[in-house]
Amino acid sequence: MNKIELQNTLPCVFEGREVQSEIWLQDVTFQKGETYLVEANSGTGKSSLCSYIIGYRKDYLGNIYFDGKDIRQHSVSDWTNIRKQTLSLLFQELRLFPELTAMENIDIKNGLTNHKSRKEILAWFERLGIADKQDAKIGRMSFGQQQRVAMIRALVQPFDFLMVDEPISHLDDNNSRIMAEIMMEEAQRQGAGVIVTSIGKHMELPYTKTFRL
Amino acid sequence: MMSLVWKLLRQHISIAQLAGFFFANLFGMFIVLLGLQFYNDVKPLFSQEDGFLKPEYLIVSKRISGVSVLGSEESCGFSDREVADISSQPFCKSVGAFTASQYRVVCSMGVNGVAQFGTDMFFESVPDRFVDTELSSWTFSPEDGTIPIILPRTYLAIYNFGFAQSQSLPKMSEGIVGMIDMLVVLRGNGQEQRLKGKIIGFSSRLNTILVPESFIQWSNAKFAPEADLTPNRLIVEVKNPTDDAIVQYINEHNLELEDDKLDAGKATYFLRIVTVLVMCVGMLISILSFYILMLSIYLLVQKNTEKLRNLLLIGYSPVRVSLPYQILTVGMNGVVLLLSLLILYVVRSYYMDRLWVMFPQMQDGSLWPALCLGLCLFLIVSTINIVAVRNRVMKIWNRKE
Repeated sequence: MNKIELQNTLPCVFEGREVQSEIWLQDVTFQKGETYLVEANSGTGKSSLCSYIIGYRKDYLGNIYFDGKDIRQHSVSDWTNIRKQTLSLLFQELRLFPELTAMENIDIKNGLTNHKSRKEILAWFERLGIADKQDAKIGRMSFGQQQRVAMIRALVQPFDFLMVDEPISHLDDNNSRIMAEIMMEEAQRQGAGVIVTSIGKHMELPYTKTFRL
Repeated sequence: MMSLVWKLLRQHISIAQLAGFFFANLFGMFIVLLGLQFYNDVKPLFSQEDGFLKPEYLIVSKRISGVSVLGSEESCGFSDREVADISSQPFCKSVGAFTASQYRVVCSMGVNGVAQFGTDMFFESVPDRFVDTELSSWTFSPEDGTIPIILPRTYLAIYNFGFAQSQSLPKMSEGIVGMIDMLVVLRGNGQEQRLKGKIIGFSSRLNTILVPESFIQWSNAKFAPEADLTPNRLIVEVKNPTDDAIVQYINEHNLELEDDKLDAGKATYFLRIVTVLVMCVGMLISILSFYILMLSIYLLVQKNTEKLRNLLLIGYSPVRVSLPYQILTVGMNGVVLLLSLLILYVVRSYYMDRLWVMFPQMQDGSLWPALCLGLCLFLIVSTINIVAVRNRVMKIWNRKE
């Protein structure tokens, strides 16, 4: 997938409201290989945007296209493949499984894609400073630690676009920097586009373009 | 990796609910299968066609009143005029007379040359065209000296229960009666002759010891040439055995019909009603247990909605996340089917043993009816389970949960 286009898109709940946005009701294109920042205040529909693009929600007006194809026309198996092969999303709410350990949370995704070796995954745990937590239940980890696990899970799949929804909200600067490094290494290796959202603190990256939502 | 998915999705599984389903379904399934199997096993006993006598053949005799026994004017035999009257009735196709042996017959039986018991007896014959058996085995020639015999089936029962049991002799099935040695001694007219008898079968509709017509003609001529051959019973071929005109005629002429078909018909009818009732109860239990299972699975999916949704969002297909629950339900259905068939097998061999003692002529039958019904139920229920789980997961996909 080379580009994601938004055409006159607006969450249904915003209909009839005065909307000042560089994303909503605009024609916006995200290109593969570029890095974007979407800055937002709370309640402006940042997580909605992510949900639309991952195909989880469809409550929007206007259209969204992947390589020119309206995503409303994607079938169930299309979406399954997109989520496995083309598009990776780090959810703001993480969507990890608290009953499983950190490593199991990674395995449940990596087992689906067979994308990364155990060694590569362990190296990421190491760099993010949570190597000692790999066998800990997610439910017993802090949100900051969970964010790092969620980032690793987002990276154990092939993708053309990586969306990260407030990835560093609970991380210190040093860990944020390491996470950004790892993310960009992997994105560049895959030649992927990156879309980062933020409501304040954001990763320091060479953004191609910054949108105000 | 599937084990990780299972580790996630087995959360909230209620063993108590599933056990409840399991035993209720096992019980229901077993009752349904048992009902069908028992019906199939027992039905032939009631509806058994008589191999030697077609249903269109009725046996007619005169009603014996207290006076006639003492040899009064009123004979219990049929005169030529009476026979002619019957054969002229519109319901009648043809009439044949029973001809009895008019001399003394002593018969001893044994197995493998060892004589077991002997008795006085008699023979009767009907015209050969009324006997539905291979003509080659239903002939007699004085040179050969072997008499083919058809016995009433009750004789076998009398032997098996009354005699064999008390004398600790082996019980006999119809299959092995061919092994019985029968020595028949005919006496009369100052002569005696020894012949061999061969039981070629049993009839439940004939109350007599039947031999070929040619034998009776030969032996009566030889041992009782002057005897009166007025027949006591007639065999009548009718067009339709349920014709009311037959009953009317029989009553008007003070005759009797030897027939057990009506009783068997009634018994079959009650058997069918009982079977249907039992199967309905089993079915009801099964349906209720199926309902428990569906509720249990719905509850499980409900409680694990968030996990299922997250799996779908990280790239698992609905097919894949449905699979564990589908395997769980289909697996349970499968185990229930196998177990109920197993229990049925045990129970069936128990009651079949009992029935064989009572009805040695009973066919072995097979478990196929229960097997087929069980498989059908399994397939139907499993299909509904698979579809229901899949629909639930699709509701989560479509954010309707």
